[in-house]
Amino acid sequence: MLDTKDAISSPQGQAARATPLLMASGVSKSFGKTQALRDASLILRPGEVVGLLGANGAGKSTLSRIVSGHIQPSGGEIAFDGEALRLASTRDALGRGIALVAQETSLAPDLSVLENIFLPSLATPGRLSYSAMRARAGEILAGLGHEHILPLHKEVRTLSAAQRQLVEIAKALSLDARLIIFDEPTASLSATEVDRLFDVMARLRDGGRALAFVSHRLEEVFAITDRVTIIREGVSVAEDVATSSLTQGDIIEHMVGRDIGAIYSARRPREAGETVLEVRSLRALPHVRDVSFSVRRGEILGLGGLVGAGRSEAVEAIWGLRPRQAGEILVRGKPAKLRKPVDAVRAGMGFVAEDRRAQNIVPDLSVRENMLIALMGQHRGFWRGYNRRADRMAALIADLGLPADRLDTSLLNYSGGMQQKIIIARWLLTEPDILILDEPTKGVDIGTRSSIYRLLQDAADAGLAVIVISSDFEELLGLAERVVVVSDGLTIADLPASRLTEEKLTLLAAPRTSTARNQALLQDLVQRHGGTAFWTLIDGEELICLATAGGRPGTELAPGEAARADETLIPAALAVRAETFTPEADGARQTLLTQMTDRRGHDLGWIGLTLPGDVDPPPVADVAARVHSLTRPEETE
Amino acid sequence: MSDAAAPAQDDAPRPPRRLTAILGSLEIRMLGLALLLAVVLSLSSPFFLTERNIFNILDQSVVIGIVAVGMTFVILTGGIDLSVGAVFGLTGILLALMLQSLPIPVAIPLTVLAGAAIGLFSGVLVAVFGLAPFVVTLGVMAIGRSLSFIFSGQRSISGLPPDLDAIVYSSFLGIPANVLFLVALYILAWAYLTYTKGGRTIYAIGSNFEAARAAGLSTMFYSIMPYVVAGALSAVAVTFSLAQVMSADPMAGNGLELDAIAAVVIGGASLYGGRGSLIGTLLGVLIMVMIRNGLNLMGVSPFWQGTAIGSIIIIALLAERLINWRSTRA
Repeated sequence: MLDTKDAISSPQGQAARATPLLMASGVSKSFGKTQALRDASLILRPGEVVGLLGANGAGKSTLSRIVSGHIQPSGGEIAFDGEALRLASTRDALGRGIALVAQETSLAPDLSVLENIFLPSLATPGRLSYSAMRARAGEILAGLGHEHILPLHKEVRTLSAAQRQLVEIAKALSLDARLIIFDEPTASLSATEVDRLFDVMARLRDGGRALAFVSHRLEEVFAITDRVTIIREGVSVAEDVATSSLTQGDIIEHMVGRDIGAIYSARRPREAGETVLEVRSLRALPHVRDVSFSVRRGEILGLGGLVGAGRSEAVEAIWGLRPRQAGEILVRGKPAKLRKPVDAVRAGMGFVAEDRRAQNIVPDLSVRENMLIALMGQHRGFWRGYNRRADRMAALIADLGLPADRLDTSLLNYSGGMQQKIIIARWLLTEPDILILDEPTKGVDIGTRSSIYRLLQDAADAGLAVIVISSDFEELLGLAERVVVVSDGLTIADLPASRLTEEKLTLLAAPRTSTARNQALLQDLVQRHGGTAFWTLIDGEELICLATAGGRPGTELAPGEAARADETLIPAALAVRAETFTPEADGARQTLLTQMTDRRGHDLGWIGLTLPGDVDPPPVADVAARVHSLTRPEETE
Repeated sequence: MSDAAAPAQDDAPRPPRRLTAILGSLEIRMLGLALLLAVVLSLSSPFFLTERNIFNILDQSVVIGIVAVGMTFVILTGGIDLSVGAVFGLTGILLALMLQSLPIPVAIPLTVLAGAAIGLFSGVLVAVFGLAPFVVTLGVMAIGRSLSFIFSGQRSISGLPPDLDAIVYSSFLGIPANVLFLVALYILAWAYLTYTKGGRTIYAIGSNFEAARAAGLSTMFYSIMPYVVAGALSAVAVTFSLAQVMSADPMAGNGLELDAIAAVVIGGASLYGGRGSLIGTLLGVLIMVMIRNGLNLMGVSPFWQGTAIGSIIIIALLAERLINWRSTRA
């Protein structure tokens, strides 16, 4: 995703920048005693995407909500289109052409796509012409890119997160918004969906609208923004700086206010112990079809994949939160009957679920009780069993830096990062052998993130088997020693992290539905020409095979496995990588390799066809043409 | 969490606001309200603060107090039980009928068991089948009231064994048995809710069911159990009532569910579950009974009692909301 910048970044560069559409300076906002914003500034120009960055709690959402009329500022000046801007409500803002596309959308789930797009107009008196609305909606959606034809009659509740966002954008456009703020729009999108969203944003920018992009994913900031404004503790610390003049390190330093160094602490060499958890062919429909993996003591295993690929559902099924139809779970080598969460807890497992507020925090219990609740779940007995591990409890509290006199307050008073650490401590207190964490750093700022990583490294050092689920591939590769990739409910790869990069992981994690076409192509090649067809990623000497078809002659490539070129039976062809049939030294095999790229020039890997050395190869151009015509999944979808 | 609510560097919770600090916890505020009410009533009527009247108030608190314990359990899980009044009426009829042929030590446990069984029925429908507690217990309430008329033949049943009144009119250290029972029940139930796994699970279920389940707590069992407790305690309450009145009326306990809910809510429990305490509930019961008693002593028409109690509920809730607003908005 990193290199999308070249493809879609603004063409105008530094020359002739438009006059600002929005100029905010010295904006402050306090909620009671809490000063959310002190001195924030923001400049947005037509035809530009400005990244609004900051750690959690820095005030970036507050600023977006002020600009979009959700809340009123306590002080400061905001000028829109040359005039002072005073907004009484979001409706007011929409009327002026300012819209906010938030992470949690403000759509009415029971209404249709069409009604949602024109929701603001539904509130105005007069009769509505559905046919005129339909025509206008078609126009708007077409303007966002032809691949995004949304069924207008569909109820919004049935749409995916990405589609809802599109409706939200269309809604803003139905009011002819000139300024659109995207508040963490990518949080629940897959990599492909993020790419599409960036396409839409690029179109909107090129159409002369002013866009703000609120995020803390730095790669995305580099991919889509022209300039950035960074807020720290309610103050703008970098204003309207060209993105290209900054490095990731610069941005992090501005956001955190200090050089936090490597946020992934150096991996300490650990001796992986015996396998403590093994999952075989787990099936929990509709999301989990066939998931297998195992994890050893002292190991951090990453469970990678896109949102909705079935990773969370798989661990929830292991935890007894979802019904399983098939599969075996072995804990410390013995089959375990995990029917309810309590079975897993007593089998020595811990589970930090994905949604902190909905699945982990018990808001009416104190911080202390929130820490003790899993220990109580594990405890067999009539009483609470709170004092069973008093020493460990005290040590954990000291580790987390929790003031002992604040243990009886509500957990909701703490920042997201501290809440997460307390939830992790809840499970460490049960002294588990296996700790499963689903998106442990979601909504956690960079500073706290590294302390969570350290916590997990320490746990692995102490001999725990740690399983981390994350959509953030950088995090996954930085933290885990081994990564199991899940896609469309199937485990499709189990690779050491050292052999992976974010790009490879992205390709491995791509939905199987979009790779089905490639699979079909491989089958087709084998049917026409015989031999073995394969689809592989090549990085120097390293290969990761994604799919194969046929079987003779063998190549030693297996789907989901990594190999070095010299470990295969076709090293010569892999070294040459030419679009001709390259014979191997022993003459037993000849191989054609054709590279696939998408329309932005991303490497989608190579399609290979290996035939026995003694047959007449088919015309190369025919094979290559078939590959090229069929393998542009992004275009043909 | 929004940016505004949690500045990143501020991991320590804010100190409590001074107003809240002075007023202390909810129970302290409720105790204050109860004492204020007692002072006002004793100034308005010379009979209010007499020993006889104080025992009167305690005596009148027994039935509603017992039922309110069960209601607290149910409300803490985020449920509601509208059937307690009807179960009170029905089990009263059942007890009276059983006492025609069975000895007291057999009839009373069977009655309590019958109440528990009705609660089990509601609890299973709510927890296993996921039906809305309001609707389930509304149905059980209709069935219960209808059955009490059918079983009683639409009239009061009297002619109960005279020994029955021993459970009310015996006393220990000058305190009547029913009041002692009430006190013991509150202490036991409070200890259960505070110190046992089951009690904490009930709070956790009402506060966040999913989190309680994922942490390995028995959410199914403890979602059903409060309804069983509520049903059983309705039967216990009617036993004390029968011992005093010496007759069972099919209409007995009409509106009792509303009194019990009111007591729990005045006591500061949240109808969404997870928040509330038995101390609060007990104070809620006393406040309600004192208002009734005081208005009676002052000779106010009983028809005004609803207005007074309704106003207290609304004012108490409103005050609580205003205090919470101030502390959460800060």
